[in-house]
Amino acid sequence: MGITTASTDPFAPHLVVWSFCRFGWLLLFLPSGLSAGDPVRVSFVNDVIPVLTKSGCNSGVCHAKAGGGQNGFQLSLLGFEPQDDFESLVKEGRGRRVFPALPKRSLVLAKASGMIPHGGGVQLAEGSEGYQVLERWIREGANFQSQDEPRLESLQVTPTKGVIAIDGRQQLSAWAHYSDGSRRDVTRLALFESNAESMATVTARGLVQVSDIPGKVAVMVRYQGQVAVFTAAIPLGAALGKMPSPHNFVDQHVFENLRQIGIPPSAVCDDSTFLRRVTLDIVGRLPTEKETQEFLAAEQSNKRDELVQRLLKNPGYADFFASKWTPLLKNRRDEASDITANFAFHAWMRDSLLANVPYDQIVRELLAATGTVVGNPPVAWYKRVKDPKEQLEDIAQLFLGVRMQCAQCHHHPFEKWSQDDYYSFAAFFSQIGRKPTGTRGEDMIFHKRGIATAVNVKSGDVLKPAVLGESVGEIAADEDPRLQLADWMSSESNPFFAKALVNRYWKHFFKRGLIEPEDDIRDTNPPTNPELLAALEQHFVKSGFDLKELVRVITQSKTYQLDSRPNRENLKDRQNYSRFYPRRLQAEVLLDAIDDLTGSPTRFANLPPGTRAIALPDNSYNRSSGFLKVFGRPESQSVCECERVKSSSLSQSLHLINSAEIKRKLSGASSRAARIQASKIPDTEKVEQLYRLAFSRSPTQVEMTVAIDYLQTPVLDAAGKPANSKKQTQENYEDLIWALMNTKEFLFNH
Amino acid sequence: MNMNAINRFPAKSFQATTRLPGWLLLIGLTFNGLPAAALWGQAVCLPSPRLLTTMPMGGEKGTTVSIKITGQNIQEVTDLTFSHPQISAKAILDAKGQPTGDRFQVTIGKDCPTGVHEARVTTRLGISTSRAFSVGDVAELQRDKPNQTLETAMRLPVNSICNAWLAKQSVDHYSFIAAQGQRIIVDCGARGIDSKLKPVVIIADANGADLLVERRGGLLDFKVPQQGEYVVKVHDLTFNGGNAYFYRLAILESQPGAAVTRMASTRPVNSFSWPPPGLDSRLNRPEIEPNDRTAQVIELPCDISGSFFPAADVDLFQFNAKKGEVWWVEVASERLGLPTDPSIVVQSIHEENDQQSLEDVAEFNDIASPVKVSSNGYSYDGPPYNAGSSDILGRLEIKRDGKHQLKISDLFGGTRRAPQNIYRLVIRKAQPDFSLVAWALHMNLRNGDRNALSKPISLRAGATMALEVVAVRRDGFDGAIDLKMENLPAGVTAMAVRIPAGKSRGIMLVSAHHKAPAGLTGARFTGEAVIDGSTVTRRCFWASMKWPVANAWSEIPNPRLLADVPVSVSDAEFAPLTLSPNRQDVVFEAAEGSKLTLPLVHSRRCDFSGASMSLRTFGNGFEKNPAFEASFAAEMTEVVLDLKKLKVKPGDYTVAFYGSAVAKYRDQLPVFENLQEQLRVETAEEIRLKMEQKNLADKDNAGGSDDRQTEDPSARIAETLKKVSARIVVLKQKVKVAQSRAAPKDIVDIVVSQPVRIRVRANGK
Repeated sequence: MGITTASTDPFAPHLVVWSFCRFGWLLLFLPSGLSAGDPVRVSFVNDVIPVLTKSGCNSGVCHAKAGGGQNGFQLSLLGFEPQDDFESLVKEGRGRRVFPALPKRSLVLAKASGMIPHGGGVQLAEGSEGYQVLERWIREGANFQSQDEPRLESLQVTPTKGVIAIDGRQQLSAWAHYSDGSRRDVTRLALFESNAESMATVTARGLVQVSDIPGKVAVMVRYQGQVAVFTAAIPLGAALGKMPSPHNFVDQHVFENLRQIGIPPSAVCDDSTFLRRVTLDIVGRLPTEKETQEFLAAEQSNKRDELVQRLLKNPGYADFFASKWTPLLKNRRDEASDITANFAFHAWMRDSLLANVPYDQIVRELLAATGTVVGNPPVAWYKRVKDPKEQLEDIAQLFLGVRMQCAQCHHHPFEKWSQDDYYSFAAFFSQIGRKPTGTRGEDMIFHKRGIATAVNVKSGDVLKPAVLGESVGEIAADEDPRLQLADWMSSESNPFFAKALVNRYWKHFFKRGLIEPEDDIRDTNPPTNPELLAALEQHFVKSGFDLKELVRVITQSKTYQLDSRPNRENLKDRQNYSRFYPRRLQAEVLLDAIDDLTGSPTRFANLPPGTRAIALPDNSYNRSSGFLKVFGRPESQSVCECERVKSSSLSQSLHLINSAEIKRKLSGASSRAARIQASKIPDTEKVEQLYRLAFSRSPTQVEMTVAIDYLQTPVLDAAGKPANSKKQTQENYEDLIWALMNTKEFLFNH
Repeated sequence: MNMNAINRFPAKSFQATTRLPGWLLLIGLTFNGLPAAALWGQAVCLPSPRLLTTMPMGGEKGTTVSIKITGQNIQEVTDLTFSHPQISAKAILDAKGQPTGDRFQVTIGKDCPTGVHEARVTTRLGISTSRAFSVGDVAELQRDKPNQTLETAMRLPVNSICNAWLAKQSVDHYSFIAAQGQRIIVDCGARGIDSKLKPVVIIADANGADLLVERRGGLLDFKVPQQGEYVVKVHDLTFNGGNAYFYRLAILESQPGAAVTRMASTRPVNSFSWPPPGLDSRLNRPEIEPNDRTAQVIELPCDISGSFFPAADVDLFQFNAKKGEVWWVEVASERLGLPTDPSIVVQSIHEENDQQSLEDVAEFNDIASPVKVSSNGYSYDGPPYNAGSSDILGRLEIKRDGKHQLKISDLFGGTRRAPQNIYRLVIRKAQPDFSLVAWALHMNLRNGDRNALSKPISLRAGATMALEVVAVRRDGFDGAIDLKMENLPAGVTAMAVRIPAGKSRGIMLVSAHHKAPAGLTGARFTGEAVIDGSTVTRRCFWASMKWPVANAWSEIPNPRLLADVPVSVSDAEFAPLTLSPNRQDVVFEAAEGSKLTLPLVHSRRCDFSGASMSLRTFGNGFEKNPAFEASFAAEMTEVVLDLKKLKVKPGDYTVAFYGSAVAKYRDQLPVFENLQEQLRVETAEEIRLKMEQKNLADKDNAGGSDDRQTEDPSARIAETLKKVSARIVVLKQKVKVAQSRAAPKDIVDIVVSQPVRIRVRANGK
């Protein structure tokens, strides 16, 4: 394997290679578009379906659209159900879709080639390779499958991995392997997809073109329900210079990756930056002025490690991470009577985090919850998520990083998961009993005795519980199958559970997961640093699923402490963690930060004064807080972290610049501006205080000069007389606080 | 008989029936057959006295404590009484030597048992509902000033109990000093002493940083890490508050390893059926762990105590039994007040060729409620009292000789590690018996009625109150149960619709004669049945709502058992309508298959909405008697019971008729009338004085004054007039308030006739 800078010929003749079979060696070299004189009959499954797939006929937006396809012509998604497709093509549509006597008059060809009007346009031009395959299949009698037809067993992409220089190209080949030992080049028929379009694009014929962004990229190849993946490293190849000394295994793996691809990391950030960054990331608030002063004044070499330990003991850690988890667990207020369940559930999560209950135990308590909401708050999850299918989908996505939704109706297009896998997972939730309680819509949950099964709605097969293809053994009628599922989840050999969590937490601290999206873990979506992911996973399992330990090991690493300012080489790095990637403060944290800076706390209904936004128990507060809504606090509708809006928007800027809410906070009678105005300390000290509060640092000389100039420049009123000095001083401080609040340095964690 | 009381429903108003527009009546009839009046948002149930809070909620035995009470309809409180004779109260007097009405000195005898007792007040309307009153044996304190911040935390000595209530959106703070290694138990009594509070209790360090949190009603067991001050925070789970959110916070020292006893609490309704009569605790044996995989061998009968611990605990017991044997299996756990759901599977063990297989013999789960429980839906559709339980009571019939295995687990215990979740398993030969519980009957009184009101048995003179009685039958007992209430106040009688054989529901009808004097007694409420030839008498427990929940949609009704059954009759007010048979103390007789006519005399004492009310029938075999109308204007209604259609068998029966009616209730009308009279007298006096003043002035002007008089009468008259005028101002204000209170208000309530005894003779006898 070497660096490829020029493409191989993407249009080289394709081969059909028949390799060893029990009748001896037979090698035929033919163009992949079967010619009229081809002695082999066209196979519906192996030849026709791939043509339909490549042409997009059986995509979800076309004839495989749920609920009848297009204009009455229904195909299975990506051809996963060939028998159904055959029936649809040959036996339905009053027999007009295929016409063996005059194949070109077949509706399927006439429409696809545009001979007669077709809503989907021309998909198979007359005479094209695909057109010929279909025409010949129809002419040969439009048969389904011959008895001895080989079955597709696997797909191979070559090469499987490589190193591609910046702006370089790589041609990929896709090979189908069949049950009779034969293989076939299906590059023209396979589907190619890059997992990072900004780093690499791929053509329909498998030519990969990389951009100028260094890192790792993967191309997924799909053919007939089989998938393969090509991964490429795109090195920058810059000189590394002096690297920070690693603090722990995180650094070893990150720095090794940087060495391999030649990206020099930024320097380690200063104390002020680290204090602000880690406080925001662990306890979800700005450091207090006192904390800032003490930390900056401390001289011991391990003060950063100690700070992390202190923050992990702070109840703010539990509040902040509960605000991360509870929306994902759909702790949603739909009706006023939900309040008890929502408060109890939020408190359960918060208390569990505070007590550092092992993660596997938290998941177990949720997954196998029984009883009443007040007696056992994780039961509230079963109040929100009632359908066993939704239960399995949420559990799989949230705790295993596996998206099973597709497999409910058809074989997963990017994965190996079948409908059997889906329904055997659902079987774990089939013995959940419910008894009504006094609260409307709220049940007591219990294990209903019986053998857990679920029916595959497609095949009608009755399936026993199995999780992602793995059996958990016989489950007796008396045993709650959810406990078996919880056991499986926390077993050391589970390839998903710990990985999904460490990836999710990595993303919390670094903005980007080692796998993206963080809840889409699959072979075809490999991690950018597999060695690091494996090491984190192993560390987490060995620690006994200790969440605080995971946070500790991440935040004490030098990687986490790198400066966000890029050096000359690493500006374009987006996935190798050669610098800290700045990110906007999330809605609740930003509101609390503004409350702290302005000295005007927000009051929330039903909660005691002083309750911070990160401690809000459910989504109901979004309705009364324009701020939380604008800055994208989630509504607890989805198990996906993407529900939380992390991007910036014009409305956010306008809200910060000019909203009545912000104005009130700035100018209230007990606001910080009012208090600071009344204080007798010198202006320079006041400015110093404000900078320490906002940025955990002192102002630079220039900043101090600008601020003092602004504060001390006399202001004249409309009549040209000096304005009321007390009022004007307060307004000047309001302006200064407003200006600090609207800086990127304040709005971002950096 | 207080004749003034009759005037509270003036005779002239008897004729003034309010007519509804025809279209409204039509609409009214289309809504579930409810009276048209149900369309209005009128109040439900006539005022009942309710004691809602006492502060403090308890005291240390052997002490005297000053208590302040609040409640509903508790004007003119005369007494504060308790269910235990060792607790007594004396009214605290105001500066004028008059009872304050809301403050009492309560003395707790040194021999008073610790635990929860009932407190009630006696009012002009009779006895109030109950409020739990705790008696303990450690020092008691009362929160004396706001403590909602860390800075204002109230210092509590270790081994004390503090009584307080939570304000809305607040967190109460306390602090205590403890030594390193000391074991401190922090317990918070709330739900178990009738509070609405769902307590969250937190132990924090001196800076307020949380260390230990308990949100599920459990206690905090705290090993003190280092000598110093610690903070205890208390708040409601949803930060609700008000004086109904009271609590008793205990900070107690305990020895390491010692068992901890929770603060005493009231009993849930379904605990009435535990323990079975005659259960001998001396025969009780503990389970022997480990028995989750290898069964503990037992012999039947048995009585075993066990624990659902650790998480997902399964306890296996193995026993031998013979085909045809019948055993009764009973488990108590939820009825002990625990959040559990026991489940049992009994299997026979087959052994063949060293292979063992199991065959299900029986599965036991819940004890079903004997009557349909409220679904908490739109309309009232059953009592919001669940006499059933998630415990177990069932029949086990052995199908084959040999070894059997019994597997018990907690369906709520999959992930819970709580050794305090215990159970008691009893397997016995049949000991037929029964348990009884009763509560005040409610019914759908208005469209969408979701009331769950607490109702004391405080009868107005002339009223009849229906109590719903349900039975849990044990070990195959299927016979009839006769219900009795004894030791009633003078003028009060009780007659029951018995619980028939094979059924679970009866009705107790408690009637106060319209001339009954005010009175209060502690009634003896029992059920009696013949079991195996012997007459067996069992106590009937009394249950009530802790709070008058006017809308069960927004607040979950929360009932409990009470320690006793007080019954009162009041002569301060009369039942708006009394329906009584024309001949008292007479058994109405009729032949089987005939028609029996019962004349019901109306004694109406106020106006009603509508022209008539619809009446249905209580009585075994008589429930299907079609509803019939009773006109408010009539003096009598003739009820015709078609014994043939009803297929009533010969025998003795008790029947009564019930329905709902919207009374034009006038609250404390006599007070208004009295004030009016006072105002009339004072006004007359004022006029007289003014006349006198005028006369004097005229006399002066005419030069007729007697200079020899030393005293100037005009000054005296002016002074008196000033006082009278001032009194008139006050009186006018009082009259206004009283008038508003006494203005007729629509209140819909249950009207029950006095019971009637019927004897159906067999034909030819």
